[in-house]
Amino acid sequence: MIEYDLQANKMVLKLVYYGPALSGKTTNLMSLHGQLTGSDCGDLMVLDTASERTIYFDLLPFFLTAPSGLKIKVKVFTVPGQVKHDATRKAVLQRADGVAFIADSQVEESLNNATSFENLEQNLALVGLNPETMPLVIQYNKCDLPNISPESTIRSTWQSTGIPLLFASALEGWGVVETFRCLALITYADIDKQYSLQEHHGLSAESFVSQLISLDNNVYMQER
Amino acid sequence: MDMRESFSFVVGEEKKLTDVLSEAEVMPLLKSAVGAGLNLVAIVDTAGATLWFCGPGLNEPGTMLPMGVADESRPIFLSGEMVGRVYMSAGKEIEAGLLKFLTQVIGDTLNSMIQSNIKRMMVTELHTKVVQMSYDELLEKNKCLAESEQKYRELAEHLEARVQERTAKLKQLYARMLQQEKMASVGQLAAGMAHEINNPLSFILSNMKTLEKYVNRFAELIDFYETQTMQTHSGDLIDCLRDKRSGLKIDFILEDIGALFSQSILGAERVKQIINDLRGFSHIDDAEYTQIDINKEIERTLGVLSSEMPSDVEIIKQFKEIPLVPCKGASLCQAFLNIIRNALQARPEGLQLVICTGIENELIRIEFKDNGPGIEPDIQERIFEPFFTTHSVGAGMGMGLKLAYDAVVSCGGTIALKSKDGQGAAFVIELPSNGRKDD
Repeated sequence: MIEYDLQANKMVLKLVYYGPALSGKTTNLMSLHGQLTGSDCGDLMVLDTASERTIYFDLLPFFLTAPSGLKIKVKVFTVPGQVKHDATRKAVLQRADGVAFIADSQVEESLNNATSFENLEQNLALVGLNPETMPLVIQYNKCDLPNISPESTIRSTWQSTGIPLLFASALEGWGVVETFRCLALITYADIDKQYSLQEHHGLSAESFVSQLISLDNNVYMQER
Repeated sequence: MDMRESFSFVVGEEKKLTDVLSEAEVMPLLKSAVGAGLNLVAIVDTAGATLWFCGPGLNEPGTMLPMGVADESRPIFLSGEMVGRVYMSAGKEIEAGLLKFLTQVIGDTLNSMIQSNIKRMMVTELHTKVVQMSYDELLEKNKCLAESEQKYRELAEHLEARVQERTAKLKQLYARMLQQEKMASVGQLAAGMAHEINNPLSFILSNMKTLEKYVNRFAELIDFYETQTMQTHSGDLIDCLRDKRSGLKIDFILEDIGALFSQSILGAERVKQIINDLRGFSHIDDAEYTQIDINKEIERTLGVLSSEMPSDVEIIKQFKEIPLVPCKGASLCQAFLNIIRNALQARPEGLQLVICTGIENELIRIEFKDNGPGIEPDIQERIFEPFFTTHSVGAGMGMGLKLAYDAVVSCGGTIALKSKDGQGAAFVIELPSNGRKDD
């Protein structure tokens, strides 16, 4: 969690899109932003890139308010996937509340997926987060491409971990919102356990997710 | 937890409008707006407090903007979130259209200024953080490398010493092994020789005794013939026999023959004794630990050494009755041999060696005291060291006293040197009378 300011009645959460290079993390956020325009999300901030490759991170903020008046800001980040930017990944991962691991469905990418996932577990531990309890979803992206691993193989690979598994094509736009919804739900469950969002702030899981994803009006955004 | 925790900011940390905009950036914009004919420009946070302003009607930042002073306003966003507004009121000469236009321009300028500032700040912060993290990691890695280098260097230095230590030890063990092997082969040789020599020696001795008996009978027969002839025969024959007898020197032969036999038998018995000493000295037939009579062992050792001793050596034995001691006889004999030999080498001519044995406070005490030149004080501490020798190269390995030392220690005893320069040397061995095994 980035911030929980009781005086200002404000909570800032961090969600991170992790994964190997070119698996479509930025495309996910762009697609999400495109599909949710007009809902509670702010502008997608894409920091300077090097020939279209993320070298810093992208940021998409969301704003919602609990019935108690608690303002919740959800900042969604992507990390640079290239191996050499490991320090940046670590910096972005710090104090994350939930992680979406974006894997590449193409057969020849399976090794890169595994390496990157290992790197995620390692970096979570390095920044003081527990990989076992961190809310985590896995998205197999690029399902629109021809040479991809069969769904059954992927499912049997991850089944034992119990991590929610989703399939998507960020380019075509499907599976993106579902992944975000899933991540939001499990992150809510985790935060609720620690901060009693339901009990103290009257914020239910459905309300949390629907405020993030619906087209409801937003107090922050009423001027636009 | 580690160095990463020391960081003051986190990627995505919340920022206030005053963090992102500075007075130096904002004020020129506000001033030029006023210069363009506006009466008042003010930037206000979400709570309504002024952050920056230009124009009359306000005294200081932080005060609330009075209601109704502003004609137009625009929202200000910080990464998608509205964080304040910019308010403007028109001067007398400004048309409504121009006011709207100026408000639009100032609002857009502020928003794009915020947008580019926040991007720059995020990049700078991330960059600083990444550099710091990498630097810390490098420092850590450097520390580890330095430690490991130090470890290896110590190991290398240590290794050299260890190798030297081991080499010395091996050399020592090798020399001792060589000596033991030598002793074992001497023992085996002695045992074999004793067996081979004893058989012929026995029948030589036995035959000599029988021969002596037979020769005595011949003498007796000669006597008988002589007596009978003298009683029954004529003078001619008697004279003839007498001449023959004196011609063959029979009287002398009969006299000498007894001495020849007794000397030969004595000589053969001496050979037998030497063989037995050699065999006993090597302890080839004994178990490792046996009950040892120290006095007898010293006698044996002297017997073995007899061939090496010049005729002018005087050995003075002052033996007292001492109990049997359970220990390794072969080692102990070896120790005695080396000590006596050391004395022989110390004084080749006119050596007088006093050997005393006795028992004192449950300790068997054996002293070898010579009248040699003694041992110089500065080498006294080194004489029991392996390979330490004062002899010229080739005369000895310098293992003699070291082996004596080892033998005594292995029997649970001690060996000490008492020597004053020029007054001879005395080696004192003390053994526990109840016997004690060290290993």
